[in-house]
Amino acid sequence: MTETKPISHTAFVVPHRVISRVDVAHLVRDAEQLDNDFTSAKVRAKAGAEKAPELQVTELLTEFLKENRLKLKDSQDCSMLVKELRLLRDESPVIHMTFSVEADHQSLEQVVQWLRSSIHPQALLAVGLQPGLIAGVYLRTPNHVLDLSLRSRLASSRVVLQKELEALRAG
Amino acid sequence: MAIFGHKKTTPKDEAADQISQVFDEEFREEMRAQGRLYFERVINENASLFKQDLDATVAHVNTELKQHMARQLDEQFAEIARSNATLRDHITKSLDEKFAEYGKTIEDAQNKALLTLSASTQTLQAQHQQLSASIQKTVADQEATLGVMAKKNEDRIKAMEEAQSAALQTLAASVQALQTQYHQLGELLQKGVVEQQAMLIGAFEKNMAIIVEHYVTAALGDQFDMKAQLPGIIQQMETNKQAIVDDMKL
Repeated sequence: MTETKPISHTAFVVPHRVISRVDVAHLVRDAEQLDNDFTSAKVRAKAGAEKAPELQVTELLTEFLKENRLKLKDSQDCSMLVKELRLLRDESPVIHMTFSVEADHQSLEQVVQWLRSSIHPQALLAVGLQPGLIAGVYLRTPNHVLDLSLRSRLASSRVVLQKELEALRAG
Repeated sequence: MAIFGHKKTTPKDEAADQISQVFDEEFREEMRAQGRLYFERVINENASLFKQDLDATVAHVNTELKQHMARQLDEQFAEIARSNATLRDHITKSLDEKFAEYGKTIEDAQNKALLTLSASTQTLQAQHQQLSASIQKTVADQEATLGVMAKKNEDRIKAMEEAQSAALQTLAASVQALQTQYHQLGELLQKGVVEQQAMLIGAFEKNMAIIVEHYVTAALGDQFDMKAQLPGIIQQMETNKQAIVDDMKL
């Protein structure tokens, strides 16, 4: 852990791979596992075990620690990290985006990257699927809904089509 | 003994000594045995005599008892026979009395039944005569009524014929009126069809937009993959960026 100041979830840099709350929950679970490993190693050392098993840190947690320049020395650091990650999971703003097709991870990473650079640095994504949208996205923020789909544009252009049909019948 | 003196003995003592020598212990034992045997023999003899007397007494008692029992039974049988005879006489007498009583009762009942039947037969004959008279009267009345009704029916038939002719005239008039209405209705229908046609065309034009929309949805639904859409999506979000940011700040 950084020695200079205590960590806070509001200052966390969230990696691009962490897209949704589920990913943050995975981070919490990995940190809890690491905390358990630290505790086990400490107990073994007290019991006089010759060699403690090597600590396993997942790839996602490693990336998170690297981006935030954090080093975990003992169980206390892990416990603090777990607490802050839980706060991050519960308090980060979530934007619901419904697509017309299945969204691949790479595309989602791009969307999240844009959201974090333009909207909120810790924004998380909740993804949905609705083929009826044809194309585009149906976006829901905590208080508003933005229908940016092709279906919406077609519906708004219905009057134009009606006028053209009337003109065709008259001509 | 001789040294210290000699005791003088009397004849009584000598007689006692001699008695004790004759009736010594052995002699006494022999006498006791003889006495015992004699006593046993006497006892046995008396026992046999007593047994003989007892057997004779028992045989005599048996004989007496049998005779007594036979006498008692004979007396009882005679008593029962007497009682039976008395009872039979009594029952026979009672039955005769009862039979006589029943016979009399049945005869009375038969007489009464015959009297009742005679009375019923007379009543029935009277009722039959009354009924015949009544039917004859009713038939006569019915004939008279039928005559009146036939006349009335003739009058009604005449009235109905007149009504039918009037109805036919009315029907003819109605047919004419219906034809007129039919022509009017045809004109109205034609006008309605034209209006309906115009309305349907209007609805078609309105719904055509929805149909085209559905067609586009079905035709293009699977045509855009995520990678192709992504630049457009980000561009649209960029357009609405400020609205999103404002909402997140709320």
